[in-house]
Amino acid sequence: MKAMQARVRKLLEENKIDGFIGLKMEHGHPAPFMFSRENLGEMETLVVGDVRYPLNKALLKVSGQYPDLTFGVMVRGCDERGITELLKWNQLHRDRVIPVGVACSSELAQLCECYKPYPSDWVVGEKTEGIAKSKRLQKIEGMNQKERLSYWLNQFNKCIKCYGCRDVCPMCFCEVCSLEDRNFILTGKLPPENPTFHLSRAVHMVGRCIDCGLCEEACPSNIPVRTLYKKINEIVKEYFDYRTGESSEGKSPLNLLGEVTLELSDVNK
Amino acid sequence: MTNSIAEIENSKCIFIIGSNTSEAHPLIGSRILKAKEKGAKLIVADPRKIQLSFYADIFVRHQLGTDVALINGILNVILKEGWYDRKFVEERTEGFKEFRKVVEKYTPENVEKITGVRAQDIRKIADLYARSKSSSIIYAMGITQHITGVDNVKSLCNLAMLCGQIGRESTGVNPLRGQNNVQGACDMGGLPNVYPGNQPVSDGQMAEKFEKAWGTKLSTKPGMTLTEMLKAAMAGEVKAMFILGENPMVSDVDIQHVEKSLEALDFLVVQDIFMSETARLADVVLPGVSFAEKDGTFTNTERKVKRVRKAIEPIGSSRQDWDIICDLSTRMGYPMRYDDPSKILEEVAQVTPSYGGIYYDRIETEGLHWPCPNRAHPGTPYLHKDRFSRGLGLFHAIEYLPPEELPDKEYPYFLTTGRIYVHYHTGTMTRRSPSLNKEVEEGFAEINPRQAKELGIIQGERIKVFSRRGEIEIKADLSERMERNTIFIPFHFVESAANRLTNPAFDPIAQIPEFKVCAVKIEKVNH
Amino acid sequence: MEYKTVLTTCGYCGCGCGLYLEVLDGQLVGAQPCKTDSVSQGGLCIKGWNVHEFVQNSERLTKPLIKKDGQFKEATWDEALDTVASRLKKIKEENGPDRIAFLTSAKCTNEENYLLQKLARAVVGTNNVDHCARL
Repeated sequence: MKAMQARVRKLLEENKIDGFIGLKMEHGHPAPFMFSRENLGEMETLVVGDVRYPLNKALLKVSGQYPDLTFGVMVRGCDERGITELLKWNQLHRDRVIPVGVACSSELAQLCECYKPYPSDWVVGEKTEGIAKSKRLQKIEGMNQKERLSYWLNQFNKCIKCYGCRDVCPMCFCEVCSLEDRNFILTGKLPPENPTFHLSRAVHMVGRCIDCGLCEEACPSNIPVRTLYKKINEIVKEYFDYRTGESSEGKSPLNLLGEVTLELSDVNK
Repeated sequence: MTNSIAEIENSKCIFIIGSNTSEAHPLIGSRILKAKEKGAKLIVADPRKIQLSFYADIFVRHQLGTDVALINGILNVILKEGWYDRKFVEERTEGFKEFRKVVEKYTPENVEKITGVRAQDIRKIADLYARSKSSSIIYAMGITQHITGVDNVKSLCNLAMLCGQIGRESTGVNPLRGQNNVQGACDMGGLPNVYPGNQPVSDGQMAEKFEKAWGTKLSTKPGMTLTEMLKAAMAGEVKAMFILGENPMVSDVDIQHVEKSLEALDFLVVQDIFMSETARLADVVLPGVSFAEKDGTFTNTERKVKRVRKAIEPIGSSRQDWDIICDLSTRMGYPMRYDDPSKILEEVAQVTPSYGGIYYDRIETEGLHWPCPNRAHPGTPYLHKDRFSRGLGLFHAIEYLPPEELPDKEYPYFLTTGRIYVHYHTGTMTRRSPSLNKEVEEGFAEINPRQAKELGIIQGERIKVFSRRGEIEIKADLSERMERNTIFIPFHFVESAANRLTNPAFDPIAQIPEFKVCAVKIEKVNH
Repeated sequence: MEYKTVLTTCGYCGCGCGLYLEVLDGQLVGAQPCKTDSVSQGGLCIKGWNVHEFVQNSERLTKPLIKKDGQFKEATWDEALDTVASRLKKIKEENGPDRIAFLTSAKCTNEENYLLQKLARAVVGTNNVDHCARL
């Protein structure tokens, strides 16, 4: 904690950053907050713990308002993958973000079944080995197709359509969301169309999901959406050899063509 | 609620009646699902096939307004099978004999004829509820908004007492309050017959206590309820009204009557954040602020007093509502001055025993459940542990009475009303929220598809719905949620206001209107 | 430049979910569940996630209004409150306190509800106080 406070203070005092998005202990709860030169006196309230909030999402809001300023942000392994991907999607500017790392506790890493529970460098915590294969996913893969379908339909039926999985997701930055497309998904009823609603979101997680698990934590109905997206990530890895947020090279499989226009003549060849 | 929200999760059996919990109280709905995942049995009784019914061990659709009959049927089985808690009945209750006599008539077979619920299902509900280690009853306006609202609630209390499913953790009789601070508004004496903390105004000693605290003379004559106020306004007996942040023009039964009553007033003041349908009728409109612009406390449905914190400055020249009231009082010759809302709650604690130990510094991190009589008291997550407020719990012998209005030849269908997951109450706030408005933009009438087919109505078609009070035009929404003889209309939408149709018949004690049952007819709109 | 989150209680239904309002430079820019709140436990419904939106709606009332000849005219706080005070006092003096009635609010805070019923009972002198609990 002290190390993180000292690092952030130094970055601010040396004008390396204009603000730092982290967690502040207030009213007995850790809460997202931006530390800045104006509130340096509050640095002692900066905390690091196992309670996680979508800090990258807060960063997008602040940097969107102040595109010329540089911000620091507290990152874990998953958040760092998020930053890498957000840079590729041009949501952030490379020179305007300084991540300050935290390595996750082994409890948290176990809970998340995270394959890399630490960022490239960190000031708080100790490196814990990642978990290669999710047990939760294996359990579902152990079911036959009929059982699996019934399992997921039952899970999706609990949905109260809060959109929390999307609203909390640091990688959901689209201005128009297909979950709200009425030609696609009917509205006004609970549960939402099953399985269209959840599978639409799952498909849009291709090349986006950094496996932070905030979606599942935000789900009031305990739907294991993270396990579903873990499977998506596994498929993306297997078929496209792409691991979302792992490297600054390469493009998301859903963005392979970029701006290249596919001519009709190319198709006919 | 007699018990706290957290306790629901550890309940072994949950009986949900008259509450579409996952839409109207979503985060309590999710607790119910968590309990289910931990092995709790779920009983759902609702005329609509609501989301929670998918997860019910037993789901019954009793005909609208037959709650007393259904519950008496359950009680009948429990008595007959000897599944009740004899010790609890002996030690903690009275009135058992008279109660038993009435219930004996309600055999499952008789009840089946009234409610449409199969006798074997009634037996199964009785078995699950009575014989589980801890059973919770959860209900909402589906129980209370009837002419027999009080009877319905008393019947549920009979059930909990008979089985000793009250006064312990994860049991109880748990009404879900619909509005964020409706519990607090009641606790703070926003009622005609009581001061804060349920202390009767007609009790001379109470009046004396408050006279001392407030330094003035007080009336011991109970005041009028909202329904009586409106009647009195129409008759010229009430000349002025001051309405703080309420919109009876959409939420009340039989809106036409409300409008005429408010227009008959000499002087109407409305303090609100939007130009609501009610505010339009006012002589003076005072702009208050939203929950995001002030400090204070709300008391949620589990009696937990929680902090509200100011996030932004008041919009425009609007002012914090407590500050407006203080200013008005001072101008009327009674100076009211508080440094900040924490000082107001300190005064509440002085005069309200159940809030006696609730101060801002104690609810900084986590709220407190009342009753909390003093600063050292940890609060009370569940009530009636060793005794009921009146001492012994009183069984009520209650006969079933049908709703005031039933379908007939002219108006052949039942109408029932309620909320949907996107909107809140009269829509003043949610319909002005772009994300929510986009989700559901207009009202609809849910109709069973087979019934719609008989009427030649297709999905999305505009229809007219008539009752003896009025008519509305609305979109038809064909849904298997509804049974053939019943339609459902959410009451949020002023342009297709369900409350133009609802029946102004009231529970004689609670004065609650029978929103949940009336008779309507349906016609296609031929443009 | 300021970004903070403010811990508060949702203003919609009776669940009373603890949530954070996100504030950027004095403007609400979002809402999210408080993970360590005993009711919401880190989740919210669709209303809770969007509870900030109505607050800054352009239709918010920002000035007191007094109706003259059937039309609302903007007024100062002094004008509006003096009008209310004098009209209520006059009706009380001429017709008696029970000719005035008050509706408190299930949407306002405990403190405000307490003060309004106190105004009705101690200042006007009537127990004609109710709210929309039944609706």
